[in-house]
Amino acid sequence: MKYYLKLGFVLLIITAIASGVLAYLNTITQPIIEENQRVAQEKARKEVLPSALTFEEIAGDLIYHIGKDAEENIVGYTFVASLYGYSGDVKTMVGVNTDLVIEKIKIISQSETPGLGANCEKPEFQMQFSGKQQTEMKVDKDGGTIVSLTGATITTRTIANSIKAAMDKLDIPAEQTEGGVE
Amino acid sequence: MTLLKEFTKGFIKENPVFVMALGLCPTLAVTSSVENAIGMGLAATFVLVFSNIFISLIKNLIPSKIRIPAYIVVIASFVTIVDMVMNAYLPAIHKSLGLFIPLIVVNCIILGRAEAFASKNNVFRSILDGLGMGIGFTLALVVIGGIREVLGAGQFLGYNLFPETFQPMLVAILAPGAFIVMGLLMGLMNLKKKK
Amino acid sequence: MEFVGKILFMAVMAIFVQNFVLMRFLGLCPYIGVSKKLDSALGMGMAVIFVMTMASTFTWLIHTYLLVPLHIEFLQTIAFILTIASLVQLVEMVIQKTAPALYKSLGVFLPLITTNCAVLGVAILNIQSEYNFLLAILNGFFAGIGFTLVLILMAGIRERLERAELPVSMKGMPISMIVAGSMALAFLGFSGLKF
Repeated sequence: MKYYLKLGFVLLIITAIASGVLAYLNTITQPIIEENQRVAQEKARKEVLPSALTFEEIAGDLIYHIGKDAEENIVGYTFVASLYGYSGDVKTMVGVNTDLVIEKIKIISQSETPGLGANCEKPEFQMQFSGKQQTEMKVDKDGGTIVSLTGATITTRTIANSIKAAMDKLDIPAEQTEGGVE
Repeated sequence: MTLLKEFTKGFIKENPVFVMALGLCPTLAVTSSVENAIGMGLAATFVLVFSNIFISLIKNLIPSKIRIPAYIVVIASFVTIVDMVMNAYLPAIHKSLGLFIPLIVVNCIILGRAEAFASKNNVFRSILDGLGMGIGFTLALVVIGGIREVLGAGQFLGYNLFPETFQPMLVAILAPGAFIVMGLLMGLMNLKKKK
Repeated sequence: MEFVGKILFMAVMAIFVQNFVLMRFLGLCPYIGVSKKLDSALGMGMAVIFVMTMASTFTWLIHTYLLVPLHIEFLQTIAFILTIASLVQLVEMVIQKTAPALYKSLGVFLPLITTNCAVLGVAILNIQSEYNFLLAILNGFFAGIGFTLVLILMAGIRERLERAELPVSMKGMPISMIVAGSMALAFLGFSGLKF
C-alpha cells in the first residue's frame, strides 16, 4: 500500500510542477492571444467597411457592429454570416452601408475543396458581392446574378444563402436605416 | 556510438518516418504545404529535444512502474508550451496546424525516443538523439510536403512555380494524394536500401 | 424525429464523409500495424471503439466540470492524455482477465491505443465542436466505428495482397499506403453528402 502511495505521490509532484509552469506561461500568453484575435477581427471589419473608423458591438440574435467615421456618423454595419458548405462552415464577414447595400465581403474561414470551393477566397470572386442587396443574394443557377465558382456551385450558394439569412436576423432600429446622424 | 553518429542517425539511416514508420498521423496531415511541414517539424523537434533533456535528467528519480505516465506528463507539458507560444506569436501557423499541435503528445516518435533512449542515456547524448530525430522528422515532412505542394498546388512555400494556366494535380494535396505519395516514397526508400 | 436525423447525420459524417483514418489522418499507426489479419483487426477495432467512447465521456466531463470552472483549460492536453492512459490501462487489465487469447494476439498494440491519435483527436474535436454530453459520447462511438470499418476493410485487402505479385521494394508498408490512398479516394466520393 505504501508503495502505491509513493508512486502516486511522485506522479502528483511531477504533474503539480508541470501545472505550475504552464499556469505561469498562460498568464503571459493568454492576453497576447486574446489581443491577436481582437486585432484580426477589427482588421476584417475595417476591410469590409473601409469608411468606418470605430466599431461598436451590438449583441442580439445576430451580433453585429455599428461602424462610425471620425465625426461619429454611422456609415454602416458589419456582421458575420456562417453556414455549412460542402465540407465545413463557411464564415463570411459582411460590411453593409446604411441603406443595407453590401460594401464588401471577406471570407474569414472555410475548409472547402482546394482548387474548387476554396477559390471563394479569391478577391475576384468576392468583389461581385459589392453593391448588391439582400434580395440579390441568388446564384446564377437559381436565377440570380451571383456568378458561381467553377465546379463549386454549392459553396457559392452557401455564401449567398448565409448572407441572406444573416441579414434576415440583422436587427437594426428603424431610424438608423435612413442613413445619417444617430 | 560516436557522438556524431548519434546525432546523424536520425537523418537517413534511422529516419523516424521512412525507416521506423513512426509519427505517421501528423506526417500525412500537415504536408499539404511546405510551410506547414516546417512548422510542425520545428514544433515536434522542440518537444522532442526538451522532453529528452528532462526525462534524461529525472530518469533515476522515477520508479519504473510509473515511468510511462511520468514521461507523458513531461511531454504533454512541452506540447502545451509549444501550443501556447505558437498561438500567441505565430497565430497563422497555429491555425493551419490546428488539431495536430496538441496531437504531438501522442506522436510515437517522442514517447518512443523517451522510452528507448532518454531513459537510458545521459543528457548530452539525449539532446543529440532528440535533435537528430527531430531534424530527420522535419526533413521527411519537408520532402513529402514539397512533392505534394508542387504537384498539387503548383507552388513552393507559397510561391507560384508555373504560369497561371498550369492545372495542378489537386489530388496531391487531398487525402488520397498523401497516402499515395507516402507509399511511393517508402517504396523508393526500400529500393535504396536494397542497393 | 429530427433528433434521430441529427444523430444519423453525425454517424454518416464520422464514419464516411469525415472518416477519422482516411480523411482526418487520425489513428494511422495501429491502422498500419494491426490490419494484417482480419480477426486481430476486429479485436483491435472493438477495443478502440470502447476506448474512444469511454474517452469521449470522461474527457468531456473533465473539461466541463473541472477545467472550465477553474479556468485551467490550458491543462487540457495533460488532463486528457492522462485520462486516456488510465483508461487504456484499465481496459488492458480487464481484457487480460476476461479474454486472455485476445490479449495475447493484440500484444503490444493494446497499450499503444494510448498513443492512437484518433482517441485524443476525437476528445479534442468534441470540445472544439462544442458538443453536449450526449453528442460527444455518440461522436466518439461513431468515430470508433469508422476506424474499425476501415481497419477491417484494410485487413481483408491485405490478406489477399499477401499472395499478390509485387515488386520487392513495394511489399509491406508501401503497398499498404497505396491501398489506403485508393480507399481514401473512394471515400472522397462521400464528401458533400448531407441531408
